[in-house]
Amino acid sequence: MNNLLIEKTKSTPAIQFDTLSKVLKISGESFPENTAKFYTPVLEWLKVYIEQLDADTEVTVEFEIIYFNSSTSKIFMTIFDMLEDAVENDKKICVNWRCDEKNETAIECGEEFKEDLDVLPFNLIIEGDQ
Amino acid sequence: MKFDLYDFYQKVKTKKILYFYCGPIAHSSIEAASYTLRKHLEFEEAGNSTTQAVFSIFIEQAQNILNYSAEKLGDQEDNQENELRIGVVVIGNEGDGGYFIYCGNRIYTKDIAQLKSKIEAVRNLSKEELKALYKETRRKEPEPGSKGAGLGLIEIARKSSRPLEYNFSTINKSFSFFSIRVVVER
Repeated sequence: MNNLLIEKTKSTPAIQFDTLSKVLKISGESFPENTAKFYTPVLEWLKVYIEQLDADTEVTVEFEIIYFNSSTSKIFMTIFDMLEDAVENDKKICVNWRCDEKNETAIECGEEFKEDLDVLPFNLIIEGDQ
Repeated sequence: MKFDLYDFYQKVKTKKILYFYCGPIAHSSIEAASYTLRKHLEFEEAGNSTTQAVFSIFIEQAQNILNYSAEKLGDQEDNQENELRIGVVVIGNEGDGGYFIYCGNRIYTKDIAQLKSKIEAVRNLSKEELKALYKETRRKEPEPGSKGAGLGLIEIARKSSRPLEYNFSTINKSFSFFSIRVVVER
């Protein structure tokens, strides 16, 4: 399966989904002009990728988001629900929600996603300057 | 008469306005304004939470104009990519280190009742109730006619320090003007 790479812009995050390292990374800002349009290929790629995963492959999904708007929040929830379903079907996936210690809003948003998930391992990783 | 913009400039200054835009809004205008607004708030030492709250309210409001304003430049139903929607956004200082974010745009008079009920549904909820509603709506199918997730107003209410204030002024039989005022206290 091909990697999915999308370069970041001022209002859309970088997408670096690497099948070799099994690290799927979304980083930057997210307030696209058309949220559904931007994330449709991302969701489609994820769906296919998850389906072909075997039970031994360990995948890490990294989120490093400075700011996201409300329509992105809904898409992220959709992604987490997809991953949660996959974990229920014995796939090994974990999420690292990375945020800067000074970005209280991003920390809070991570906590709120975590509260809404049951089986998906969701690690809130708060990083300092260095 | 001599041309002089100083008078207008002074008026804007005395009203402690950080950002003012009135006219057609494109997505690229929002991107550009985002950068300036964050820098400005940084220079004002607004603090991370306040900056994020003002920024988030600005984005939701500007994107509401972009998606829903009933005043358009250019084009017709068949070419939505090529149209610009018109509105006004004002951000300024509000006593004791807080900020106000005003936003206004034309709406169809027939849509007033629906918008009013959406705002009323969130304006008197507590922060806990808003959080619960936000989470519930986030997992729901969007309403027909919604271009986003239906979360924008809830997000604005969550970030606001006071109940949302809003108003509808009649322009003519078909159109009205919608204004909303949000305050973020430090």
